[in-house]
Amino acid sequence: MTQDIQIKSVTKVFETGIRSRKTAVDNLTLDIPRGEVVGLLGANGSGKSTTLKMILGFLRPTSGNILIAGVTAGTRASRTHLGYLPENPRFQRFLRGRSILEYIGRLHRMSGAGLSRRCTELLELVGLEHAGGERVQGYSKGMIQRLAIAQALINRPKILIFDEPMSGLDPLGRMEIRNLIARIHQEMPEATLFFSTHILSDAEALCSSVALLKQGKLKVNCPIAQLIQNEPENYELTLTNVSPALQTELAAAHSLTASPLGFSFSLNGTAALQKEIGRLSAAGAKILSVYTKRGSLEKTLFSDSARETA
Amino acid sequence: MNALRIGWIAIRELIHERFFYILIGFLGASIAFSLLLGQMTYAEKAKLTFDFMLGSTHLILVLFSIFMGVTLFQRELLSGSVSMILSKPISRASFLLGKFLGQIGVQAAMAFCMGALTLGICSQFDGNFSVLATAQTVALIYAESVVLTALTYAFAVNTGSLTTALLTLALFSVGHMRQVVDSAFRAGENPWSWRLGRTLIPDLEIFNMKSLASYGQSLAGTEFFWAVAYALLCLGFYLALALVTFERKDIAT
Repeated sequence: MTQDIQIKSVTKVFETGIRSRKTAVDNLTLDIPRGEVVGLLGANGSGKSTTLKMILGFLRPTSGNILIAGVTAGTRASRTHLGYLPENPRFQRFLRGRSILEYIGRLHRMSGAGLSRRCTELLELVGLEHAGGERVQGYSKGMIQRLAIAQALINRPKILIFDEPMSGLDPLGRMEIRNLIARIHQEMPEATLFFSTHILSDAEALCSSVALLKQGKLKVNCPIAQLIQNEPENYELTLTNVSPALQTELAAAHSLTASPLGFSFSLNGTAALQKEIGRLSAAGAKILSVYTKRGSLEKTLFSDSARETA
Repeated sequence: MNALRIGWIAIRELIHERFFYILIGFLGASIAFSLLLGQMTYAEKAKLTFDFMLGSTHLILVLFSIFMGVTLFQRELLSGSVSMILSKPISRASFLLGKFLGQIGVQAAMAFCMGALTLGICSQFDGNFSVLATAQTVALIYAESVVLTALTYAFAVNTGSLTTALLTLALFSVGHMRQVVDSAFRAGENPWSWRLGRTLIPDLEIFNMKSLASYGQSLAGTEFFWAVAYALLCLGFYLALALVTFERKDIAT
């Protein structure tokens, strides 16, 4: 499999004082295959942004090296393959959305009708076709984020690097950006997307694999399906229309919790779930929801006992 | 080519935000000052107005070169917006040069407009004005502002906004008093630190011919040429310092 990003034994040490040093990334080795969506997970200060900045060449590794599509990171040639979305994108406020895309396109040596067509395509893709002629100073945070995604795509990059693409957005804005990223991957299946996040549900929804950093060290690097596969099958049922006899019966068998909607209880295993659904329906109870509990992914990733599969 | 594109955006940014306000302010203050002088004095009115306008041009360009340098270049470094541009296939040198060219382009337009306004207003009085002397004075004020802009960028790459502004203002002051400090040291022992300072700190008095111009006297061609050559030398030194440091800098924002 072709590797688009190869991080080889990279360490980054910052000098934080005359005699004090901080190791932000510690001997990191990671390969990102072509066409994959890979999430770089970790708590604040775990080295996610430092890793992305070394890939982009803003920071130089203290030791080790990084290759982007076979070219050393930090060179101009390596950046021709990249599209980058920073964590807090900022634009010149007086420029219009479309002018910003044209400006960025020209920095990629694009021009004329081709550039104009690409700007129109991207404004449509990110849902800003109506606002392309407006000054950025009137944009909401969500619109700025979408414009920043559009500028990252202007050169049809092979590799997309997104630094916390959903951070600072409200739930609706997060959902929009998540859907947009999924659409980008659908329309550019050959492009590699490497993004940092500390929101696990985003990684779960978008990534084919994840890498977890903890205090600068790689703790987990595996397909997300592998993490989910190992999860126990836990379900939570919520019921209403429960007769007193059924309530007594359920309370004896399960740990029943009263909720504003009725009652809820947990079950282990799909077979037990199917059996219980049949019984409850026959007894006249109405099943309001069946929720699959996946909370253990979070535990898997952030617990001290996280497996070292790297 | 990318430097010119970045420079063009920098020009638009400066024009959009500050350029016209400064010129309108300068024009308003000049007219108000000349009207006020008309009430107070007769004989020296033309000379005082001329001196005031050249002094204002100098002050405005010096402050513009320092504070706009901090705003235009350093704010972008500190806020992290620089990362969007530097992730494109352009060199760091193009980014820095682009910002620099944009800023000195706007300063050139300001110097030209202020010089033209000075001549326009002062030609209404019966004074001993030389167009050549005024043009030379404004050109040298501009040359000084370009040197200070390069100095601001050299500091801005390495330090914070306040430190950059204070250091550049300090070197501006010492640069105009170099001969005074030099003679003070010469009277005693000439320490190595001042000898080093003399090498690194520009002699900004070379660009000051305001008092000559107010008596209608211009510089000889060779003197003017050497002043411009000195400005180019200082500019090259400070800009090269900024470029080399910026190329090696870790951009962590």
